[in-house]
Amino acid sequence: MIGGLFIYNHKGEVLISRVYRDDIGRNAVDAFRVNVIHARQQVRSPVTNIARTSFFHVKRSNIWLAAVTKQNVNATMVFEFLYKMCDVMSAYFGKISEENVKNNFVLIYELLDEILDFGYPQNSETGALKTFITQQGIKSQHHTKEEQSQITSQVTGQIGWRREGIKYRRNELFLDVLESVNLLMSPQGQVLSAHVSGRVVMKSYLSGMPECKFGMNDKIVIDKQGKGGSSEDGGKSGKQSIAIDDCTFHQCVRLSKFDSERSISFIPPDGDYELMRYRTTKDIILPFRVIPLVREVGRTKLEVKVVIKSNFKSSLLAQKIEVRIPTPLNTSGVQLICMKGKAKYKASENAIVWKIKRMAGMKESQISAEIELLPTNDKKKWARPPISMNFEVPFAPSGLKVRYLKVFEPKLNYSDHDVIKWVRYIGRSGIYETRC
Amino acid sequence: MPYLGGEDTVRELRRALSNPNVQSDQLRYRNTILKVIRAMSQGVDVSGLFSDMVKACATVDIVQKKLVYVFLCSYAALNPELSLLVINTLRKDCQDPNPMVRSLALRNMTNLRLPSLMEYVEQPLTAGLRDRAACVRRVAVLGWAKLHNLQPNSEIDAAVVNELYSLLRDPDPVVMVNCLRALEEILKEEGGIAINKPITHHLLNRLKESDVWGQCEVLRILQRYRPQSEDELFDILSLLDASLVSPHPQVMAATLSLFLSLCSGLPAVSLAALERVRGPLLAACGSVSRELRFTALCHIQLLLRSLPGLMGAHYKRFFCGYAEPAYIKQRKMQVLVELVNDDNVTMLLDELKGYCTDVNTDTAQAAISAIGRIGRSYSDRCLEILTGLLALKQEHITSAVVQTMRDLVWVCPQCSDTVCLALEGCEETLQDSQGRQALLWLLGVYGEQVSSAPYTLEVFIDGVRSEVSLGVKMELLTTTMRLFLCRPAETQDMLGRLLHYCIEEEPDMCVRDQALLYYRLLHCGIEETQKVLQGRRSDPSLGVLIGRPSEPISQWACSFNTLEPLRQGTVETDSTISASRCTDASADVPASSIAAPLSLSLSPALSPEEFERLWLQRQVLHSEQEQIQFPAIPHCSPQSLQAAMQLVNIQTLAFTPPHTLPWRVYLYTHTQHAGDSPHITLILGELLYTGEEELKVTLKQQPRDDKALKGFLSILTTVLHTLVTQLVWFIAR
Repeated sequence: MIGGLFIYNHKGEVLISRVYRDDIGRNAVDAFRVNVIHARQQVRSPVTNIARTSFFHVKRSNIWLAAVTKQNVNATMVFEFLYKMCDVMSAYFGKISEENVKNNFVLIYELLDEILDFGYPQNSETGALKTFITQQGIKSQHHTKEEQSQITSQVTGQIGWRREGIKYRRNELFLDVLESVNLLMSPQGQVLSAHVSGRVVMKSYLSGMPECKFGMNDKIVIDKQGKGGSSEDGGKSGKQSIAIDDCTFHQCVRLSKFDSERSISFIPPDGDYELMRYRTTKDIILPFRVIPLVREVGRTKLEVKVVIKSNFKSSLLAQKIEVRIPTPLNTSGVQLICMKGKAKYKASENAIVWKIKRMAGMKESQISAEIELLPTNDKKKWARPPISMNFEVPFAPSGLKVRYLKVFEPKLNYSDHDVIKWVRYIGRSGIYETRC
Repeated sequence: MPYLGGEDTVRELRRALSNPNVQSDQLRYRNTILKVIRAMSQGVDVSGLFSDMVKACATVDIVQKKLVYVFLCSYAALNPELSLLVINTLRKDCQDPNPMVRSLALRNMTNLRLPSLMEYVEQPLTAGLRDRAACVRRVAVLGWAKLHNLQPNSEIDAAVVNELYSLLRDPDPVVMVNCLRALEEILKEEGGIAINKPITHHLLNRLKESDVWGQCEVLRILQRYRPQSEDELFDILSLLDASLVSPHPQVMAATLSLFLSLCSGLPAVSLAALERVRGPLLAACGSVSRELRFTALCHIQLLLRSLPGLMGAHYKRFFCGYAEPAYIKQRKMQVLVELVNDDNVTMLLDELKGYCTDVNTDTAQAAISAIGRIGRSYSDRCLEILTGLLALKQEHITSAVVQTMRDLVWVCPQCSDTVCLALEGCEETLQDSQGRQALLWLLGVYGEQVSSAPYTLEVFIDGVRSEVSLGVKMELLTTTMRLFLCRPAETQDMLGRLLHYCIEEEPDMCVRDQALLYYRLLHCGIEETQKVLQGRRSDPSLGVLIGRPSEPISQWACSFNTLEPLRQGTVETDSTISASRCTDASADVPASSIAAPLSLSLSPALSPEEFERLWLQRQVLHSEQEQIQFPAIPHCSPQSLQAAMQLVNIQTLAFTPPHTLPWRVYLYTHTQHAGDSPHITLILGELLYTGEEELKVTLKQQPRDDKALKGFLSILTTVLHTLVTQLVWFIAR
């Protein structure tokens, strides 16, 4: 259980302080500030013990959130709770920044009252919280005019995330598969680690209380169907199925059904929401390969050649490609030759930034740079930070495919065919690094 | 955060609150109350508005009610009498048809934390337990726990306890979990809630209904249950199997913890469970949030104590990312060391070698000592890397490498040849005391094999007068003695000089005693000395051959999924910090006393008028300004500051009260150099704190004496430092 929750700005000023249990004294707020925020060394651990009180902290932009407890608690749970708290707050007022926290302090106090009681987590779902919270979030940039959620006396309804009586003239459904692919590659081209973390984000404009069913090329499902004998497209999709390591769902998904049949069925919330999050580590399509060649010519010169190869269907186009080649601190001048795109040496960032607007699949492009170095007597070897890459590709690097998305609404008279559905795949780079 | 003009604000707010026009307009009334809360959170003392706010509480507007409650809960403890007025309104609200109002009233009634109001609260709480709405029951159940916490000695009615037990069967899962929590707290003296078979089965069957937090709670409490038969045990385990691989790490960890406690008698089942959680644990290690990654790593370290082979194939998951924080990198390296085997050792060492040149010196040193640990089993490859690192001639790297080599040679004496070759020339790059101590130890033990050993020692002995580190001096003594035994011709003269210095001139008693001991030992003859200094030592290399025995799971099972695994590392680092600080401090004091043997005295006393006259008269005095970082000083009481200053003969003359800004202290003292002919100077000082990070110190002196000023400043900083550390400790208590 959590004894208290504090929010500080980067200077260590207390923005929010809420104490739930008497064993946390008023001094605890200062103790954390003095020992962690104002400490001269770097943060040594996300958990700090000061006089038998444990402080768990999480940083979001320049805001510190700290949970305090005197008990020997379950550490994973406290951290997960802090993340959840951040999620709830950003659902109400966007980014967690000092300005937003200050503007919404009444709302935050109200949230803290509802989410925790006597230090025990009570109710942490944004949808279900809406009925209890009277304040509206104030967003700094644009004030979204959300309709005032009516405070109903029906407090523990079955479906907390959708209200009754929604009507649209055109029933539309947008589905985005957003993936970020992470890679760490050795200079020799060996994959040290690679994983894809993906999200299925939906926007639904559907009338009534529709029941949706979502299917993808999940290996377990497809194997099961293959055994069952239904061979409609078993041969084709059999090899294209993907193994999902772990996934989490929006609360609207019926978990019991997923556990038993691994089918994803749900009554969607209205508007934007994130249906599921997943992670895969096997058979990832790496959209780009970076081949670095670094040669040190004497003490004052460095020759760098970087080749990037796009590794996907030639009919597809990758966009917003950016390769960032770090340079040593004592660089005095850089000469660049690249065949495609624009490259520039940015002295303030100690890097060569090479940008290419568009690049088709199965192509190759290279840049070569001559870096002149100032002679220094600093004997410290250059640490050679990895070359990082950013890009956007119109497919899912994990290989995930949406097989179907069906909508059933038994009460209102529209069928699955009347719903206009849009599906889009976007693969972005996460931390995509190649060591050199 | 002090706030100027607080009184005006309060007066204005009171006028607005009592204005009938405002009171009749709901929106304006609400906005005024919002302003009160805003002022409160900015640190203005608005407790004077208590009675006005109590009146504002009686409203139908829920938004306004909530705002008022926030205010009341913060100030109720200051106004116990006026709070009685609120109770009436709150009790009325408990009858409200709207369940939200009822739960709100009930929660705030229990949040007031006033023992005097207990008698009024009990009745609505009892009613709340039987309320129709689940949200009211949730609050009421926890309310009893709060009540018990407020007066731990008073007995809670047995009827209430029974009712709480029966509410475990409530249809709302949160009410059920809250009942568990409340009973745990109320029955703490008796060892918590009684867990029997029907309750266990009921809780397990409803586990899926509750949210993740509730599941964690239930799983934790069930650890106390002991199944009556093996069949029952396996039924429970198969029920829990799904949560063992839950995508929520907190549920997974709680389930594993329960598994381990249930299967404490069945090691095979525990092993199977650990194998099963490997996947989810590894996933948590690669999660996006660094805190979770850290927690997972700490727990994996725990598992590896019993099952060193559990993660062997997945060693690549523990390679560090470039931008990861140092604490994660260090944990990952500790794990990597455990995972090393014949197949991956090349890959692992390559990876660790990359970390040795990390920008963060702590990380670099941790990587080097990790290589040293691996060196116990793969000494050749590791020594090659370590020797290569010496060529970089980097101060912190060389120091870490030499220390690592020292530790390695102790367990693997066969490496000594390579180490001795590598040592040549690295004394030039070594700066810190830890590294030099390590070098000296190596020279002492393997003096015969290092040809340049006496020359290196000579440099040390020539510089012993300016040596500040106590450890280095002690090590130097032992090393010279050892070297004397194997190479007497080259060392005899040096040893004589060193012993003479240490016995006659050295201010530190510890070093002096050690030198005397060696001196007397030499008097007993060379055989005796050899017996003492080169006697047989225990053979730690045996441990490497046998390997560390893997611990039984029960050794750590009880600390799994608590704070303990996270603490282990930090306790270690804390103790090393304090240890190094101790040696530094003990080294600093004699150093400063050698440089400037300065004494302070209070006489002749200075009257405040005299002080003021001297302070304002600028030309005569030499003045100097310094910035010191002590942000916490202004929070300590004048008495403790004065007492601390007087201990070192500094007189404080005037203070501003604590917590005001700017905060000032005026002080004075007389300095005097010991030994010399009496050479007295007067120092006047002002400490000024304006709310920034630093404390500004202005010092004026008559007549000018820079040495004395510097000495005084170091004394002052030391006093302030001790005061701050005590203060922090005090606050933390």
